[in-house]
Order: sequence, then C-alpha cells, then structure tokens
Amino acid sequence: MKKRNIAALLCTVLFSLSLGACGQTDQASQTGQASQANTAETSSEAASETSSDTQKSLVWGDTTFNTMNGEPSIDPHADSGGWACIRYGVGETLFHFSDAMEMEPWLAEGYKNIDELTWEITLRDGVRFSNGKAMDANAVKACLETLIAKMERAASALHIDTLTAEGQTLTIRTTEPVPTLLNYLCDPYGCIIDVDADVAAEGIVIGTGPYKATALTPDTSLELVRNEEYWGDKPALDTITVRTISDSDTITMALQSGEIDVAYGIPYSSYPLFENDYTFAGCATSRVFFGAMNFESEITSDPAVRKAIAMGIDKNGFVDTLLNGNGYPATGVFPASLPYGGDAVKAKEYDPEGAKEVLEAAGWKDTDGDGIREKDGKPLTLRWLTLPNRQELPLLAEYAQSTLGDIGFDVQINNTANYNSIRQDPSAWDVYFSAMITAPTGDPEYFFAYHCLDRSGNNDGHYHSDELEALHAEMSKTFDPQERQKLAVQMQQTILDDDAFLFVSHLRMNMIAKPTVKGLAAHTTDYYEITPQLDIAE
Amino acid sequence: MNAYSKSPTLLQDNISLRPQHCKQDHTKARLLFFLTLALLLVLTAVFAEQLCPYDPNRQDLSAALKAPSLTHLFGTDRHGRDMFSRVISGASASVGATLALVAIISVCGSLIGIICAKTGGLFDVIVMRLSDICLAFPGLVFALALAAVLQGGLENAVLALALINWPKFARLARSQTLSLLRAPYMDAARLAGCRSFQLILRHIIPNIAGPLLVTATLDIGTMMMEIAALSYLGLGAQPPTAEWGSMMSNGRSLLQTYPWVVLSPGLAIFCFVAVFNLLGDALRDAIDPHSVSEHSTQKHQTTRRLS
Repeated sequence: MKKRNIAALLCTVLFSLSLGACGQTDQASQTGQASQANTAETSSEAASETSSDTQKSLVWGDTTFNTMNGEPSIDPHADSGGWACIRYGVGETLFHFSDAMEMEPWLAEGYKNIDELTWEITLRDGVRFSNGKAMDANAVKACLETLIAKMERAASALHIDTLTAEGQTLTIRTTEPVPTLLNYLCDPYGCIIDVDADVAAEGIVIGTGPYKATALTPDTSLELVRNEEYWGDKPALDTITVRTISDSDTITMALQSGEIDVAYGIPYSSYPLFENDYTFAGCATSRVFFGAMNFESEITSDPAVRKAIAMGIDKNGFVDTLLNGNGYPATGVFPASLPYGGDAVKAKEYDPEGAKEVLEAAGWKDTDGDGIREKDGKPLTLRWLTLPNRQELPLLAEYAQSTLGDIGFDVQINNTANYNSIRQDPSAWDVYFSAMITAPTGDPEYFFAYHCLDRSGNNDGHYHSDELEALHAEMSKTFDPQERQKLAVQMQQTILDDDAFLFVSHLRMNMIAKPTVKGLAAHTTDYYEITPQLDIAE
Repeated sequence: MNAYSKSPTLLQDNISLRPQHCKQDHTKARLLFFLTLALLLVLTAVFAEQLCPYDPNRQDLSAALKAPSLTHLFGTDRHGRDMFSRVISGASASVGATLALVAIISVCGSLIGIICAKTGGLFDVIVMRLSDICLAFPGLVFALALAAVLQGGLENAVLALALINWPKFARLARSQTLSLLRAPYMDAARLAGCRSFQLILRHIIPNIAGPLLVTATLDIGTMMMEIAALSYLGLGAQPPTAEWGSMMSNGRSLLQTYPWVVLSPGLAIFCFVAVFNLLGDALRDAIDPHSVSEHSTQKHQTTRRLS
C-alpha cells in the first residue's frame, strides 16, 4: 500500500515538473521571438528607466477613503467625495481656511458683498484645470449649478438664486440672506471641477489642484500624478498612490513594514510603536465624539433620563485613558480654540450620585433589586447606537455601559456599520453616538443647521426647541461675526440645557509618516492633506 | 550475501539481542486523563462566577493596561478590567455556547438522519438535498451571512451555526441506520413485534451512538473556533459579555503594544480546543478498537512482527 502511495506521489511530482518545463520552454520560445522586437525598444526603455530613477513617488494610506464613509470616489458632487477630492490635492475651493481658521482667498482673489443677497467674487487669473482648460467664471458657474442640482445638502445651505458669469467675475444672488455663503463654499463639496469634462464612471474628476487623478479603484486605490498646469508652487512629487486600508490595525502594520509612507487613521493605542522613528503631524480639530438623544423614545424623551446620562459619563477618564490623552474633554459643541467654544458655555459636571438622585426624583427606582431601575414596570434600558469605523466609539460605548450601569441603566450597545439606516428609524435606538467635525466652515451655524433644527437632515432624534429655532432665525440674518459668536454661545447653551446632545471629547488628529517625508502638515479642518509642499527625501 | 544467510546461529543471536518492547495499551488512561481535563474546563465554566478573583465587568480606568502581575495574573485590559477574571468568565459564555451548539446539532441532526433512513421516500430525498445545499456552502461564510441577518448576539451565533452544521450528523446517522436496518437481528426484532419507535430507541440509537459521540466530541473544538470567529467579527457575544473570541477582537490593535490582552483569551481557546480534540481521539480509540490511532497501530504491528 505504501509503495503504491510513493509511486503515485512520484508520478505527480514528475508530471508537475514536466508541465513546468513545458511552460518554461514555451516562455523561452516566446521570449526568443520577442527578443528581436524588443531590441529596437531597448534604447527608449533605458531612457525611461533613467527618468523613473529620478521620479519621486509616495504611497499614502488612509482608513477613511471608502464607500462605508461615503467616499467611493473623488467626485465632490456625490456623497462625501469632496473630502477625498480636497484632501488628496485634486480639487480646490474658492476660499480656504488658514491655520488660525481665518478665511482666505484660494481660487478666488477677492469678493464684494454688494448687498445682503448679492456677492461678487473675483477669480484668480491664470488658473487652469488639469486638462488645460482655463478656470473662468463660466466654468465656476457651471460647476456650482451642477452642485446645487445634484446635492440637496449644498442647495439648502447656499440658497443660490442666480449665478452670473462675466470673464473672471462671478456674481451670486441668493434667495435669502446667507451670511456664511463664502464659508459654505469652503466645504469640500465646493471644490471647483470642470463639469464639461466627462466624469469617468469610477468618479475621477478634473480639478485645479496640484495633482490630477489618473486611476481610481473604489475602496482600493487612487493614482495621482503631478498637475503640470498647476498655478501655484510646483508640486514636489511626481506620483502619489493613495491606498484605502480601512482596517486600522492593517494600516499600522503597513506603515511598519514600509508598504506606505504616510498613514492617516492609526489608532491611538498604536502610537507608542511609532514614537521614536516616525514623524507625527497633528493638531486639535473640531471633530467631537457626541451623542444625540432620541426624543421619540419613551426613555430618552424623559428630561430626567437625559440629565442623568449627561451627569453619568466621566469625560476626563475617557480622554486620559481610552484616548491615551489624544483629545480634550468637551463642554459644548466647539473646541476651546474657537472664541465661541470651550468654557464659553456650561455643561453638567460628572456627578454619578447626583444622577441617581435625579432618577429617583423622577420615579425611576430599582424595585426588584437587580441593579436596573424601573418606572411603571418599564426598565431603564438604553439602546446605544454607535459605529465601528472609529475604534474609540465602541470603547466609549462600553465605558458608558459600565458607568451608567452603576447609576441604574441597562445599556444595550448596537455597534454596527449599518448605523445610517438604523438611525433614521427612531424606534430602533435611544442614543446615537458618532464623531463629527462641528465647524467645517469655520462658522458656528453649520452644526445647528445639520443636526438640531426642525429642518435639519441629521436631526434623527427629532429634537425641537422654539428657542433654538428663534436664535437660528436671528443668526441666519446676522452678518456681524461678533454677534454670530454671541448667538452661537446661546444656541449651544440651549441644547445643553435641554440635554438634547451630549459632547464627550474633541479629538486630536495625527498623520504618521516615515522620517523621509517632508512638508506634511495637519490642518484643524482635516481638509488639506496632500499639498504641493509634500515631499519625500531620496 | 548478508550476515543472516551466513549463519543461522548468528541470525538467532541477532534476534535475541533486539529488545522486545511489548507496549501497554494506554487508551483508557489517555481517555481518563483528557476526560478529567475536559471536566475541569466545564466545571470552570459552570463555577466561573465563584472562581473569578475580581468582577469581570468592573472597570477601573486607573488600572488600565497593567502588565501581568501577582495582583492581575493575566494583566488588565483598556477599561482596567482583570483579564484573568474575564478569561474565566468567558469560559461560561464560550464553553456553554459551544456545548449547547454541539448538543443541538448532534441530537437534532442524528434524529433527522434516523427518521430519513427509516421513512425513506420523498421526505428522505428532500431532507438530504437540503443537507447537500448546506454542505455545498463554505460553512463559516454561510454562518456569517446568517448571523448578520439574525443580528449579533451569542444566541443568534449559535442558531446560525446550528442551521448549517446539522447535516453532518444527519448524514452519518442516516448511513449508519441504513446499514443497521439490513441486519438480521432487526428483522428478528420486527418479527417480534417491535414498533418503529421501539426499534429506533432500543436497537438503532444504542448501536450508532458510538460513532456519533466520537464525532460530536471531535466537533466541539471546531465549533468553539467557529463561535469565536463569529464573535471576533462582532456577530457573536455583545459587550460587556466576556467571550474569548470577542475579547481577542477587542484587543487586536494591542497585539504589539499590550500583547497579554489578546494572548490570554487566545491561550484559553487553544487549551480548550486541544483538550476536546485529544479527548475525541481517545474516545474513538476506546469505543472503536478497529480504528485505533495510527501511532498505536504501528506500535502493535512492530510488537507482533518481533514476536
């Protein structure tokens, strides 16, 4: 029996070897036939090899450039594609933010506010799209018209009535006063692209940025080459590959192995691995871990329950330990770096004993001794919806499960990538925790407009406050920045007093790079990543 | 020409010089040993609450990510929970779910198989084609899809795995039953007036229980791995339940910086799977002497040749 097995094994090995040899012979003969043809190309190949030797290339790894995050492409008019468009240096907006969050002209040279409804924007001369077409007022008009036609979010923020183009002057007339029109045009969806050029099926667009996209495989990679038409400083790199690595542990290992040069999205717990030999480019952002209460729920529609939740989470403990100090305990919507943020408002302090008293007074008592409070036979069960694409959100959920558990809550966590459909069903959750940039336009109105008002698309918990609506109505007519800041403080205080939202921590973001990478800088808005200054040493 | 053909005396001398080891059969001792270990693991799972030195869900952020020490034998995790307590507490979730799963699939699968063999006809055809469909899919992928549809949770993970793993037992029980039904003593039992139910209970189940028990025992390790895999992917146990697979998943980003958070539940899974696989081997050797493991067969053959 054994001999038979050995014979069969030998036969298999011999057969495989003979197949391999045949393959090699075929290959050899093909190579032989092709060799003559190749001889003629040798000189040109040698030339290209020489040029490729001097080419500077960089591989960028990112955990967020994916469909789950609303970025299947770099098309600023589709979903959240504008983020990838602006981050990777393909598109630019008319205005942008300085490091101090002051608005500065970018593709525009300046503007005039003719009256409350009319804005005259002068465009920069000599700017061309990466396909060589000049960027004039007509091109910008066509782009903005496409934007408001395709994206409801942009249309409802900009309130554009008419657009008039003349040479390098674009006149925007709005249907109602929009004091923050220019701020909204700094949003990634405001990237100016050539809409007359065909948008490739995979979502490649033609922008004015330092790099142009040549190939895109959604959820896999984006290939960029230097935009030779670029109007600003010459981009330092010849090619860049942006690789989507959605798993934060995989991106950690990719940077360690040298597979990528820069990584965005390394978990805080892995920072110690890079502290000695790598470069960190980081800054505080307005991104906040926050929870929205569901006012349709029997549990969180009770003000006492919302108050107890606000008093039951230790923000300092979460930041110091679970974020490894890479955050700042949040009081309100905005970080302390903004004049209307930080301690400009007052929030409830961590006070577990006080929270217990609040619940007792409201009739939530543990009658059966199981540690969970009840009222009218209904247990104090809190359905906590969160998402896994930021590792710290599930950690926060588990932390709150313990601290709120001590107060008498039964916290049931639903940590799911399917959060977008679940949060739209008010019967499926009580608290929804996510992470958001709260001041992406450098103005306070954005957060309230998208999350807190009756007309807000993201007000999934159906929060309503007459006071907030009135304050917002006033803000939407106010052009004076100082007055807007005062209103922002009042609006924050209103939602904090109602315990409609709970703000736990603002985040510090970091990009980690090999020491050979130069010119890498993080920005408070989290928008501008690949710039002409980004370079890599030989 | 060799030394043996030269002289018969020398040949006899050579043979007499060879040591003759008549090895004892350790099957029963092995079985007892692994049965004891398995029993210890099950008892750990049953009395987990009493054995935990700390509350496995009690968080203490000031003690987060402490290395293993005398205070915390397996260290602490990111929330400052004692890993040793969580590993022990995880045994009740992991072992309980695994044993429940194996019990469900072995009992239900075997009964379906026996009924199929006994009734035959259209019912048999439909059920067997259904089992073919289940077996045609890669098991874990099918379970993943099912668990995702059923939503997360340890109960749903067990249900999803049960739905795809029953055919193995159904087919085994069916084939064993079919061969038994042709045996003369079955005819005798029928002639003696045994009804179908009595036939199954008195004559079929006792005769096919051996192979089914061995398969079930060998399956415990595999099922444990599959439950852990579903939990690792977030479709099994939900927080704060300590379960070995989800504990590994939660700590995976700490593998390089704080390895004990991942290694301690990993070690627990390894021990559990190894013990139950070895127990299955020993049980097979004990129940069915014809299929004793290759190692012991070789030893017996050597002994026979020498003697």
